[in-house]
Amino acid sequence: MRSHTYDFSPHDLLRLLGPALAVVAIGAALLHAGTWLNAVPSPRPALDVDRTIVIHKVEASGSRSDAKVLLVGDSSCLMNAVAVRLGEAIGEPVLNLGTLSYLDLSAHAKLLQRFNAANTNQLKEVVLLLHPEALRRPAAEAYHTAAFEHFIAGKDHVTKRNASYWLGLEFLRGRILSRVLPTALPGAYGRRYGFTYDLEAHLRRERGSAVDPDPKTFQGNPEYRLATQLEAQSRAFKAAVPPGVKLLVGITPVPAGFAPSDYAERHRRMLLQWSQWLGSDGTLADLPATLPDDLFAKTTHLNERGAMEYTALLARSLSSH
Amino acid sequence: MLFNSGVFLKFFAGFLLLYWLVRSNLRARNILIVSASYLFYGWWDYRFLGLILFSSVLDYFVGLGIARQTDARRRKLWLALSIAANLGILGFFKYFNFFSTSLAALLQKLDIPFHTSTLRIILPVGISFYTFQAMSYTIDVYRGAIPVCRNLVNFLAFVSFFPQLVAGPIERASHLLPQFERTLTINRAMLEEGAWLILWGMFKKVVIADNLDALVSMVYGNNAYSGPAVALATIAFGFQIYCDFSGYSDIARGLARVLGFDIMVNFNLPYFASSIREFWQRWHISLSTWLRDYLYISFGGNRRGAARTYLNLFITMLLGGLWHGAAWNFVLWGAWHGVGLIAHRAFTTRTTPGPGIGRIFGWLMTMLFVFYGWLLFRAQSFDQIVNMTRSFSEWSRPVWIGSYVTNLVVFVIPLLAVELWQFRSRNSLVPLSLSRWALATWQGLLLLAIIVYWERVEVPFIYFQF
Repeated sequence: MRSHTYDFSPHDLLRLLGPALAVVAIGAALLHAGTWLNAVPSPRPALDVDRTIVIHKVEASGSRSDAKVLLVGDSSCLMNAVAVRLGEAIGEPVLNLGTLSYLDLSAHAKLLQRFNAANTNQLKEVVLLLHPEALRRPAAEAYHTAAFEHFIAGKDHVTKRNASYWLGLEFLRGRILSRVLPTALPGAYGRRYGFTYDLEAHLRRERGSAVDPDPKTFQGNPEYRLATQLEAQSRAFKAAVPPGVKLLVGITPVPAGFAPSDYAERHRRMLLQWSQWLGSDGTLADLPATLPDDLFAKTTHLNERGAMEYTALLARSLSSH
Repeated sequence: MLFNSGVFLKFFAGFLLLYWLVRSNLRARNILIVSASYLFYGWWDYRFLGLILFSSVLDYFVGLGIARQTDARRRKLWLALSIAANLGILGFFKYFNFFSTSLAALLQKLDIPFHTSTLRIILPVGISFYTFQAMSYTIDVYRGAIPVCRNLVNFLAFVSFFPQLVAGPIERASHLLPQFERTLTINRAMLEEGAWLILWGMFKKVVIADNLDALVSMVYGNNAYSGPAVALATIAFGFQIYCDFSGYSDIARGLARVLGFDIMVNFNLPYFASSIREFWQRWHISLSTWLRDYLYISFGGNRRGAARTYLNLFITMLLGGLWHGAAWNFVLWGAWHGVGLIAHRAFTTRTTPGPGIGRIFGWLMTMLFVFYGWLLFRAQSFDQIVNMTRSFSEWSRPVWIGSYVTNLVVFVIPLLAVELWQFRSRNSLVPLSLSRWALATWQGLLLLAIIVYWERVEVPFIYFQF
């Protein structure tokens, strides 16, 4: 017995699928043409937590600002130092340009240079803060560094020419969707901040500082040391500091219960060595190497209460320099 | 294997090719369908295959046993075997841990020493769907409503047909089984209908439901609530679960259509219902009619007076709630709808209010009732239900409310626009009446939206867990 019969022609099939596929192809062509002719908005792919933070920092560093003190560094700088509170305590406007741990000193230097170019002869102090975890990392992650460079250059972050590229999806997402529709943030970030737009609003309101909303058990290797590559990177960073601007350097704390027993001494030696490489104008040696565990969200970030306490300590330390 | 995955696209493309090759042999087609369905199902976990095979073979032979017997008592024994085996499998895999921990908790409260242990049982995907489908076959054979199936391959294909295997619709043997026994014709209209159903179902799942999932989790995953946040998240969940589940049903119907099969309609614009009774005539139709035909009527239906009718309704809905999952909030959700149906039946004999303001008021009350029910359904504990309900008296606005409303509107408006069109025209396929290029443009835009949101972590369909 016959199973089934096909009562249509290949032409019918083509008439069914062809027009819809043609519309997709036309849409892709329009996106490519619009991008090529600069007829669509410039890239701004703030579509998740990481990209929203980095894009905010890139834009904040290139904008006019009243900041006299600039905080730069990794995510421990972003999450541990409360810029508004710090500014109130030291009596100078502060901007936090702390980014994320997968960027390195050269990225921080670029942000500093952009800020100085947009706000010439305004800066008094640059405070560089890194977590010891970042000090032993030999190099930044290539993907994220490339993304950062693309954001600064105002280019689409296209790493490979796959189907997604040819369909124009990166242009659609990064140039149009991200500008018209806030993206919901996942997990704890969603519960704390809501959407990409709201995270950006928070960063603007808090002059670049954020709170880590995602507590995790402490993990990692507490055998901290300075990576040898850090020496060259530090010298390059120093070169980016404008003349007459004081460079102060500090290492952000680790949980007391996580740090090795001799960590306070190691922290002191690392800070001294790193400060020498940087040729800094001062070390924030009076900042604690460790803080109680209950002030941390995770090994690298303080929680909201911890950030407040650390900011008070940071203000006292900065006032003494 | 999820419909919204690359591996399914490859699977289905390969299947279509083989399906074309076996077009001249009905037996080969059904063997192909069984093989592909078992591959589709085993993709999750090959250990599930033994269970579906056992359940199917048992019901096949039970059907033959019932048909062979003329003695009423023996026929009943055969049926009891099928029901006991199917409910036993379902009860063990789905409810064992739930009942044992619930019993332990109850006895602990009564200070009665009781030792219980939970088993590490994996819940087979879609077990509630195919168990109910297979059980309906033996009941129908017993009732003499359908002839017995005497071809094992056809019966295996009926139970495991991959488009509707893991999340329904729960098909009836009287409708689907004969389709495995005859030559099917696939014409242009069926292709158009199938393509539309697949595209629209995929849009509802990938674009609407999966985007709303993030909005819902943002509030339901929290411990601190405010009234507007809970209200918005519950609305979002109402649309998420609808788009997720009806999206799956649409894709299932579309895939079947492309293969020449017809699968029953599972959703008929439920959010346009103006009474709770009408809602259940439009929502998960294959389950609600199953519950009506095999539970409510078996309990006596409305034949034994008002009080017994209400009790039958309540028990049916309670069990319907429990069917959704082994958790008390599903039981509570079932009870909530049971009470709603009883109240509706007590106050009116009409399914829907008359036209005009009465109908609008009825719709509003129905939606308030249904959406509060979704809060009961989505909450993870009684404490959460209580806290979220209390939050309606605390009307502070979260900072992200603007972004939340924007997302909700952007993702829900296309659905409402299409459904309003379908509702007014009383034709679910009305989009196919557009002119050729208007339809192509629209389908192209739907396709583009699906592609834009396709490339991320595949979110499983909610109803797979049931």
